[in-house]
Amino acid sequence: MGWAIKLSLVGLVVLAGFAVYLDAIVQEKFSGKRWTIPAKVYARPLELFVGQKLSKDDFLTELDALGYRRESVANGPGAASVSGNTVDLNTRGFQFYEGMEQAQPVRVRFSGDYVAELSGAKGSKLSVVRLEPLLIGGLYPKNLEDRILIKIDQVPPYLLDTLVAVEDRDFYHHFGVSPKSIARAIWVNGSSGRMRQGGSTLTQQLVKNFYLTNERSLSRKLTEAMMALLLELHYDKREILEAYLNEVFVGQDGQRAVHGFGLASQFFFSQPLAELKLHQVALLVGMVKGPSSYNPRRYPERALERRNLVLDVLQEQGVATAEQVEAAKKMPLGVTKRGSLADSSFPGFLDLVKRQLREDYRDEDLTEEGLRIFTSFDPILQMKAEASVNDTFKRLSGRKGSDDVEAAMVVTNPETGEVQAMIGSRQASFAGFNRALDAVRPIGSLIKPAVYLTALEKPSQYTLTSWLSDESFSVKGADGQVWKPQNYDRRSHGTVFLYQGLAHSYNLSTARLGLAVGVPNVLKTLARLGVEREFPAFPSMLLGAGGMTPIEVATMYQTLANGGFNTPMRGIRSVLTAEGEPLKRYPFQIQQRFDPASIYLIQSAMQRVMREGTGSSVYNVLPKTLTLAGKTGTSNDSRDSWFAGFSQDLLAVVWLGRDDNGKTPFTGATGALQVWTSFMRKADPLPLDMPQPDNIVQAWVDSRTGQGSEGSCPGAVQMPYIRGSEPPPGAACAGESPASGETVMDWVKGWMN
Amino acid sequence: MNKWLIPAVTAVALLSGCSTVQRGSIPVVDSGSAVSNSERVSANGGFRQTTVKRPAQAQVQEIPQGDTGVVVMVPGGGATTSAPISTSPITPGPISSGPITPGPIDSTSAPINQGSYSLPPTPSGIPSASSGGLSADEQLDGPVLALLTTAQQQQASGDLNGAASSLERAQRVAPREPQVLYKLAQVRMAQGDAAQAEQFAQRGLTMASGRPALQASLWELIAQAREKQGDSAGAAQARQRAKVSS
Repeated sequence: MGWAIKLSLVGLVVLAGFAVYLDAIVQEKFSGKRWTIPAKVYARPLELFVGQKLSKDDFLTELDALGYRRESVANGPGAASVSGNTVDLNTRGFQFYEGMEQAQPVRVRFSGDYVAELSGAKGSKLSVVRLEPLLIGGLYPKNLEDRILIKIDQVPPYLLDTLVAVEDRDFYHHFGVSPKSIARAIWVNGSSGRMRQGGSTLTQQLVKNFYLTNERSLSRKLTEAMMALLLELHYDKREILEAYLNEVFVGQDGQRAVHGFGLASQFFFSQPLAELKLHQVALLVGMVKGPSSYNPRRYPERALERRNLVLDVLQEQGVATAEQVEAAKKMPLGVTKRGSLADSSFPGFLDLVKRQLREDYRDEDLTEEGLRIFTSFDPILQMKAEASVNDTFKRLSGRKGSDDVEAAMVVTNPETGEVQAMIGSRQASFAGFNRALDAVRPIGSLIKPAVYLTALEKPSQYTLTSWLSDESFSVKGADGQVWKPQNYDRRSHGTVFLYQGLAHSYNLSTARLGLAVGVPNVLKTLARLGVEREFPAFPSMLLGAGGMTPIEVATMYQTLANGGFNTPMRGIRSVLTAEGEPLKRYPFQIQQRFDPASIYLIQSAMQRVMREGTGSSVYNVLPKTLTLAGKTGTSNDSRDSWFAGFSQDLLAVVWLGRDDNGKTPFTGATGALQVWTSFMRKADPLPLDMPQPDNIVQAWVDSRTGQGSEGSCPGAVQMPYIRGSEPPPGAACAGESPASGETVMDWVKGWMN
Repeated sequence: MNKWLIPAVTAVALLSGCSTVQRGSIPVVDSGSAVSNSERVSANGGFRQTTVKRPAQAQVQEIPQGDTGVVVMVPGGGATTSAPISTSPITPGPISSGPITPGPIDSTSAPINQGSYSLPPTPSGIPSASSGGLSADEQLDGPVLALLTTAQQQQASGDLNGAASSLERAQRVAPREPQVLYKLAQVRMAQGDAAQAEQFAQRGLTMASGRPALQASLWELIAQAREKQGDSAGAAQARQRAKVSS
């Protein structure tokens, strides 16, 4: 008898010690920061203002991706109603770097592809409104839990009641464990002979997920029960419920584990949790029992059945009325479709963001601190870029060898230096080798604007109408090797205007010009354009033997597009802490590298590429009024097909080629330019319109001789010159003295052509 | 020699003209300091409401104020600086101007305020004739004006990063509006980044063709930025350009 008492006393002491130990664990983990949160990456917020170029379709795509519900009358945040050209919506509000954007009712009226009217409550005019940004990804280490933390007062109606009704009816009355449920579980397990059902309370489930491993044993079950009791001792029911809402596992997204109802709501419905309706709440709660077997995307029928079962329970428990349940049962599952904007991944752009962030943050900061990263990513342009790649490959699939061709694309806004879209692989959703950032490939004729710009910076020697010889030649390099360039068509073109050498991408005249201005000077121009890579000063560099990545090409062309001002490429605008405090900004920076006048001339020549040169096929598809500038590039044996070009507000670089550097069936014009054209057609940009610098004059010249001419003379064309380099004005044509009205008309025609 | 004198004399005449106007009976409120004065800005909810009365005045007026370099330009009724100049300098077709210049709006059927100052409606209902500050200096569209107003408030409350961020937002909305670049240059200057201030002012100049008052302010800012960078010769050159432009 005595030894039994002693033994139980010892046992009690041991148990008490164990309880103290568990209590320390319970409190320590629950009181501090409970979860590490991966950084969230956001797309640019869509700005709305009168006069903005935005089509209604694109706007609705964005609203759908943001999970706006279509209703007949927009009621409450996250609702939209469409009627004709007018869209009414209630924005949700968002904390941005510059401050809070309030949730508000907004009416947008479209006219053509422009926003014609923007008004708020009671018809008051609004100057500018920002939608909340689309969440495009996070920065997780492998196999990591992801979640969006929510507070218990942010949950939608029914959620708490449904959760309690389905998972733990005694929740508000037990002390962490429920003897009733355990008894039931023992009975069920005993009769089936296997461990099938846990009589776990919500508290126990939380303890299991939050503190313990997934092992199933009696000792673990006892530990779990003790910890549940301890947790209930220290924290009230609401706190425990809130932790449960954030901890619960609801699905798997590749390597990312989706935890908590906050993220689940975004992941499945693309909506904030607070906006969920009864049928959505029922689905999410129903999934807790088996996230993979009730996955609504993989097993929609099973998920629907489970949801409706939950709805029945709600009616039976009096949580919802029969009518509400009936209505909810009629609703579809409502999960976002695969392939839609809301359910797409953008590994190419996220890769860029990660690389830029790693320069400033440690990996732990990015994966644990819940930072909010605001980027310049434009999901609508991204979808258009991806569609352009897919459409073009489909169209060109007949070409032998096109199946092995890979693709990369960079889309930027030349006026802000921001990267808006990026494709690193022909299958844009495949993460992996990011060709836009890492494929270093010979750029071919994309180099030529640097050659011509070097010449045009010397207006006393070169103008757009200087004569160049396009005859074949050879030079002996320092190493004794002979370099003998050839034209693509293997012919020489006699004597051509300087701009024609660029427009038609003649190798002979370009190489001659490059040798005349000096290879080192061309390389200096390239460096000033923003290319940091070093190249040897070989003559073959003049025709693009040097390799560059698509993003480097974008940087180079950005300087050409932006009036000679270089901008470091940016993908990130700002970073906020998890609490919404400003942390870091990535400011817009510019540096003038060229006189705007010489840039004006090179842009003019690059417009000729599109109007009459190697890029002219764009105008088979695009309207003539859309002024564009660009350049094709093809490396030896068509191993690389490039196109780089820009409008006023959009710059895109496309590369096509094989990873094994094999031959492709494409030149720059037949491959990359086709993707580029398709993209520009979808994106519908503004025509290029560089302000004419003060030291530029427009002069009439004879299109055959390059001599000054009267505007009214046959064959007269207008060309820009840096002041002082224009040819002397020509005499009036034989016997004609045109009326001034005609001259003005011709002048206008010159503008329009 | 004589040729050199002409602009110099003109500039002196202009400047003295300005100063007499300021001291004289024409009621021009000292809006230069009003814009940068946080108390006044917060008191009346933004510089948009700062009152600058615009009398019929032949010259463009420029009131540089201290380090912040805030300049308020008041276009007169004269033909040389009337409102239409603020549309983009070369506008060959209706669709080719920037996104917020009146071009594209014009081509739609939208009834958009064109002729008069397109101020966003202010709840207080201040008549546009007496609203001053930025709106009076040159015609600006609703969104740009709203964002510049926000930036100005942020700057006044010492939040230079926020101001810069709002201005970059305005720059995205209206990439070709030199006023935005001018303001951005001012904030960079206040942040101590004279080199970038100069660059933004230079970029602004390439877009400010036909807007002499703004050109003068941009050159003045370049002069200050060069001074800060220790380039006094460059600063003097820029000052010269500022005078010629004004």
